[in-house]
Amino acid sequence: MKPLIRAGLRDLIRRPLFSGLMLAGLALGVAVVTAIDLASQSALRAFEVSTATVVGRATHRVVGGPTGVPEGLYIELRAAAGSMQMAPVVEGVVSALDFDERPMRVLGIDIFAEAPFRDQLSPGLVFDPDFQQFFTKPGMAIIGEEFAKANQLAPGAELAVQVNDRLERITVLGIVSTLGSSDVLLMDIAGAQELLGTSGRLTRIDLLADPDSVAALRTQLPPGLRIVSSSEQRDTADQLTSAFRLNLTALSLLALVVGFFLVYNTMTFSVLSRRPVLGILRSLGVTGRQIFAQIVLEAILVGFLGSFIGILFGVLLAHFALGLVTRTINDFYFLLTVREVTLTTSVAVKAIALGVGAGGLASVIPALEAARVPPVQVLRRSDLEQGARVWVPRVGLFGLGLAVAGSALFLLSDNSLPLTFIGILLVILGLALIVPFGTLAFLRLLRPLSSRILWRLAVRGLARQLSRVGIAIAALMVALSVTIGIALMITSFRSTVQNWLDITLYSDIYVSSPAAIGNRPQADLSPSLEARLARLEGVATVEAIRTVQVLGEKGELDLTAVDPRRVRDAGIYRLASGSARQVWDRVRQGAVLISESLEFRYGTTETLVLQTDAGEVTFDVVGIFYDYSSDRGTVLMSRDIYLENWDDPALSSLGVEALPGIDTYKLAESIRAELSGTGLIVHENQQIREEAMRIFDRTFAITQSLRVLAVVVAFIGVLSALLALQLDRRREYATLEAIGLDPEGLEKLTYLETALMGISASLMALPTGLLLALILIHVINVRSFGWTIQLTPAAGPFLQAILVGLVASLAAAVYPVSRLRRMTVAESIRGD
Amino acid sequence: MRIAIVGLVIALAFGGYFLLPTPSDPEIPTYQLLQSSGPPEFETVQDPREFSFPRDHGPHLDYRTEWWYYTGNLVAQGGERFGYQLTIFRRGLTPGGTRRESDFATNQIYFGHLALTNVDEGEHVALERFERGSAGLAGASGDPFAVFLGDWSIQSLDETGTQVRLRASDVGFGLDLTLAATKPIVAHGEQGYSIKGGAEGNASYYLSFTNMQTQGSLQIGDRIFEVSGKSWFDHEWGTSALGAQATGWDWFGLQLDDGRELMLFHIRKGDDDGDEQISGGTLVAPNGDARWMTADEFEISPITTWTSELTGTTYPSGWEITIPAEGLELIVEPHVKDQEMRLNLEYWEGAVRVSGSVEGQGYVELTGYSGSMRGLY
Repeated sequence: MKPLIRAGLRDLIRRPLFSGLMLAGLALGVAVVTAIDLASQSALRAFEVSTATVVGRATHRVVGGPTGVPEGLYIELRAAAGSMQMAPVVEGVVSALDFDERPMRVLGIDIFAEAPFRDQLSPGLVFDPDFQQFFTKPGMAIIGEEFAKANQLAPGAELAVQVNDRLERITVLGIVSTLGSSDVLLMDIAGAQELLGTSGRLTRIDLLADPDSVAALRTQLPPGLRIVSSSEQRDTADQLTSAFRLNLTALSLLALVVGFFLVYNTMTFSVLSRRPVLGILRSLGVTGRQIFAQIVLEAILVGFLGSFIGILFGVLLAHFALGLVTRTINDFYFLLTVREVTLTTSVAVKAIALGVGAGGLASVIPALEAARVPPVQVLRRSDLEQGARVWVPRVGLFGLGLAVAGSALFLLSDNSLPLTFIGILLVILGLALIVPFGTLAFLRLLRPLSSRILWRLAVRGLARQLSRVGIAIAALMVALSVTIGIALMITSFRSTVQNWLDITLYSDIYVSSPAAIGNRPQADLSPSLEARLARLEGVATVEAIRTVQVLGEKGELDLTAVDPRRVRDAGIYRLASGSARQVWDRVRQGAVLISESLEFRYGTTETLVLQTDAGEVTFDVVGIFYDYSSDRGTVLMSRDIYLENWDDPALSSLGVEALPGIDTYKLAESIRAELSGTGLIVHENQQIREEAMRIFDRTFAITQSLRVLAVVVAFIGVLSALLALQLDRRREYATLEAIGLDPEGLEKLTYLETALMGISASLMALPTGLLLALILIHVINVRSFGWTIQLTPAAGPFLQAILVGLVASLAAAVYPVSRLRRMTVAESIRGD
Repeated sequence: MRIAIVGLVIALAFGGYFLLPTPSDPEIPTYQLLQSSGPPEFETVQDPREFSFPRDHGPHLDYRTEWWYYTGNLVAQGGERFGYQLTIFRRGLTPGGTRRESDFATNQIYFGHLALTNVDEGEHVALERFERGSAGLAGASGDPFAVFLGDWSIQSLDETGTQVRLRASDVGFGLDLTLAATKPIVAHGEQGYSIKGGAEGNASYYLSFTNMQTQGSLQIGDRIFEVSGKSWFDHEWGTSALGAQATGWDWFGLQLDDGRELMLFHIRKGDDDGDEQISGGTLVAPNGDARWMTADEFEISPITTWTSELTGTTYPSGWEITIPAEGLELIVEPHVKDQEMRLNLEYWEGAVRVSGSVEGQGYVELTGYSGSMRGLY
């Protein structure tokens, strides 16, 4: 075996260009998978670390409604619960004005209750005269060492922060190593309450207790409060983001699929070009089995090498991906800071397995072909191509079967996301296998179009070279259809969201706090703002909006309480009984509307149970509305009803409607003047819409990048296929040249051929892309997030794909053409 | 008693804590702090003063440090003998009270030590807790006299504060005792003004009930013992600590069977400074009259030592005390050798028996043996 492998390796080394391209394609595929994997794992781990910072070793926590837990309960429990360890926590988010309005988490603790829970502060510090200001002066905070270093903050530094509708200053009292790089402002519980304006309230009470004591404690809790376990909390985070992360992983796998084609392509070519050698080996007594093993081994070696390079590159890429992933998690799920990407063994092993697996699998068919080389002598190429005509329909049929099976799988798999993705992968693979057949049919159609010699040479040449070209075209087709599918999905999603914003954003001006992160408002604004704004000249109405997180039967969900006086537009309802006015009348009386994603989480439901300050209350559900602001689901209710059930008069944002004929720009200016010093942001309708779309685009930035990467891999595929083709056809070219085709003609021929490849790939990508978009919109999105997206037919993605296909293939031809120029007749014929 | 010691215990506490974090250990956080603008301006103890009760049993927020210290020897109905200690310390961060929006806001820190000695079984258990002096978590008042730290409490049962109920329990053990003073309050030193160092202001106010009839119950594990016996109460407050030379102190609170009580303290300094060692004592007659004694009136000589297996610290473990003018020649021995308080602050505090010219019982406190506190405060 060893000499065989050496021979194989020599062959790989002798063709550095091909080997390089094959390696590059595989490595890129692995890199993309690794990067996404790393980014999403790092994000999760960062969440765990930040949970550890904040939750510490607590086994349970007592939580309440939007306003948290009354502090008196803590004192009572401390007295009653005997030896159970508990710690009060006050948490909130402020934005650091000098640091790009970066959201920072305020963690207010009682150092004396802390020791069993968190390690940030040693209780002994209380005797340090310098530390004592932590208690005695308001606004004192401790920050993490790495955070301080990164932002050049030293003890004594002041931070300007926006807290709700106030601007405050915080003094960095100290820097502690245990907080690391997390964006945490660690404060004394009193200072935190004062800063956040939550005196008398706690965010939660952390517990360190066994299940029995917890069960006992549960019975003592006043209504509206409950105990959740820390693992529940972690699981929620995991579940919240799992659909999002799975979608990313699936997309990243597409890049690997394209890379897989590339390896197949290159290995096939390698086998073809080595047929003489293989024939000689066979006549020397090497068995077909040994040759099979040799080829597969080669591929596995390449797989290994490619995986290593891929992992290295993937780690680099992950830093980029991480920003995008974190951004989306922050926008949609929870506050998170991740700056570290650490390669874990599991990610590395997965990447190597994928790379080696893809390499090995891709080589099976070429290896089988190599093993079948008869021991005598070289078969003539034409025989093989003859063979191709037989396999093309067979493979096509097989592909069709695969696609049908795949469709069946995802159609029947109900709501299982992994099965859905496997089904879709099968569909894509199946369609890719039909590509050679499609190409052949396409070329047949083209043949009669012109009788010029170059045209006929090109069309026939391509048809004859299908065994290699077909794969390159298939790879390109997959990449392009992914491009189309994703672009179409995003375009559709975007326009759906835009329509939705038109309906929901009805106020002329919005007032909100910069402490809001992405689309999750976090601020508690003073209710007096409503009256303050209503007094201003030119204001017709002011609508107070409260958005909070409350507990439902299946964990946290968003609740938006709105002014009941304004009837909602019928356009926001997907499903409701009665007219918009009738629905709204019922909402005024205490019924609620639920968003699509909530329906997705809870199923179709007539009632909804929510934890209010007075315990569980059942609300009638009178309709389902479109909502794209959160995938955990939103309940919409009248603010009057909200105030009846929750003692929480604070506001999250305000909508202002101008009197007719009032210039909203001027009104916005006068509101800004009125609110100066509060740090609140005043947006005109148009701006808030732009802001919403900016968040939307930010969310899909990573999807867009993955799309580009798939095209890059496909480009490498076309390039290597062309090079292979050219090398393979040296003799043919030489002959053509010898019989009078000038070098210019040869160049034209090459460009023509590649253009045909690009066009046929693009054409086949159009229906495939559309299909993919439909699947993404109607299956993946619904199963991942429960959103209804209207498919928006847009020519853009299709035209773009054709253009990319053409440009990619022509660009891939540039280098082969330049090689053609250097080739001489004599040299080529000598090679015979 | 423990006159001078106000600052020193704090110094010990500091010392103990400061020694904890070492930057080389990754598990332990490292800190970098903003320098404070200067020491807070607490009042210092300068002169003897008049006391008024029960108000002066309560906290004195203009002084930095204060403690309420109960120790005692008790006997159960079945004859089992026990020692107990319940101490609540107050540490002010800034003088006076505080007015802020949050109920949690405070400038007072309370911490407490609770210990039980089972003399017959030779066992000793101790633990501590900390709390902020706000939001109903810990606090103290003079009228009515009460001090509490979580669910540990000292609660006066009469208007003058001569009778108190002590309640404290935690995992595994606890106490619930009623104490009644049988003698008037003793003001140590010059009417309670107890000098503890050479420099001006190095003093504390020091008051005691040296003989309190005690009754109640002790809980150890799931066993409850109905007990009775005698307790000793110290209340001391002040601001400045001893000089940098002090390394620790020994304190004796002895209740003699002839109806007298004896308090002695001895502040140990480094051998090299040549300063006069600071010692002193009070002898309380059966009728309650108290006589202040200077260092030259008594002699304390250690007889033997005991080394803790757990901390490696060696403490004196038996003394000969002579007070020639009173004809007293006493041998003081611990009931249990290991009554080491292995808390954040390491010291030895335990029940002792007295023999010699007169028999008796009491408590002894030994600090600064687990490492010098020199320069820590």
